[in-house]
Amino acid sequence: MAFYRLLQGFRALFLLVFLASAAEAHDPIFGIGPHVLYKAGTEFHLSISREKLANHGAEAELEVSYGITSDWSAGAGVSYPEAASFHSSIFTKYRFWRQDTFGTQESAAIMAKVISGSREKTSPSEGSEESDYILGLAYGYEGRKWYRWASIRHRINAKAVDGNDRPDVWLVDFAGGIRFVPSEYHEPDWVWMLELNGELVEKASQNAVNMLQHQSANQWFLSPGLMWTYRNLAIKSGAQLLVYNNVKTDSGAVEYRAHLALEFHF
Amino acid sequence: MFMKWIGITMLILSFPVRSAEIHYQMRVDGLACPFCAYGMEKKIKALAGVDKHSVVIELNRGIVSFVADTQVPLTGDVLKVLVNDAGFTLQHLETTPSIKNKASQ
Repeated sequence: MAFYRLLQGFRALFLLVFLASAAEAHDPIFGIGPHVLYKAGTEFHLSISREKLANHGAEAELEVSYGITSDWSAGAGVSYPEAASFHSSIFTKYRFWRQDTFGTQESAAIMAKVISGSREKTSPSEGSEESDYILGLAYGYEGRKWYRWASIRHRINAKAVDGNDRPDVWLVDFAGGIRFVPSEYHEPDWVWMLELNGELVEKASQNAVNMLQHQSANQWFLSPGLMWTYRNLAIKSGAQLLVYNNVKTDSGAVEYRAHLALEFHF
Repeated sequence: MFMKWIGITMLILSFPVRSAEIHYQMRVDGLACPFCAYGMEKKIKALAGVDKHSVVIELNRGIVSFVADTQVPLTGDVLKVLVNDAGFTLQHLETTPSIKNKASQ
């Protein structure tokens, strides 16, 4: 028994110190939500995404999260972008407000994420060797039928390898969801979502690494998605379609993102 | 006198053996989705004395129930912390004896 407790303690310490472990759970697909993993819970999040710019290719990501308390989680992740070198991240989320009523939960949380530097393969000068930081605030309402979320994130980008500016980005997200059939606990659960995601790139103060970053680009995406869960297993998928862009690109390609994620917690 | 004590002892032994199982029914607020409710199942099953097959989560009624056989009955305060650790709020607790005749098993 003592040995088991010791093992549990080491597991928690490992996750806390080395992985700095957290959780995404029932949150939007492209935006963020305030949901936090339960205390002492561990969650694995495996995802693949297609980046919106054709030359950015696909990206695979693995994240591990841990519930430090019922309102505070932390985690770490590794990403393998097709167009850039491997990079890692640590993140944490703290739910500072929660209101539970019959069949509903309303809450708000703050989050922070540090992403290690990563060099672009096709254009090495566009990458950065320093870390980027993301700070965020999220609100969410979960009901037996309806869901709604709103969030804002500020990504503070480090300078590029060649000294050029990589301007900061504001990410603004609004999302709604509906569960058409109020499934019970041991039944598969389907939640359909629609998100409006804004990416507002600040104007670069110096030479920017590309045209989109040189100007203050605003892009808005409409993103249908689906979350399927069965007890502690979740599959999330969605596509992000560009609906507004104030900067003309010369690629001519349709810009969209696609995301598929598998989550498992225990 | 000796026969009297034997009689009392035999009378006591003739009673069926009963355990002190209690059925706990909790009204839990915040239960919106099954994926999140898994934490509740995990927390309850981790309690010593809980019959793991008895844990029932009814999302549409906001009810979580289970049967436990513990030396000391679980208190509302203990369950309130447990439910909070799972990320929800305990609204109401009802306990009823769940006497199981072990002799008949």
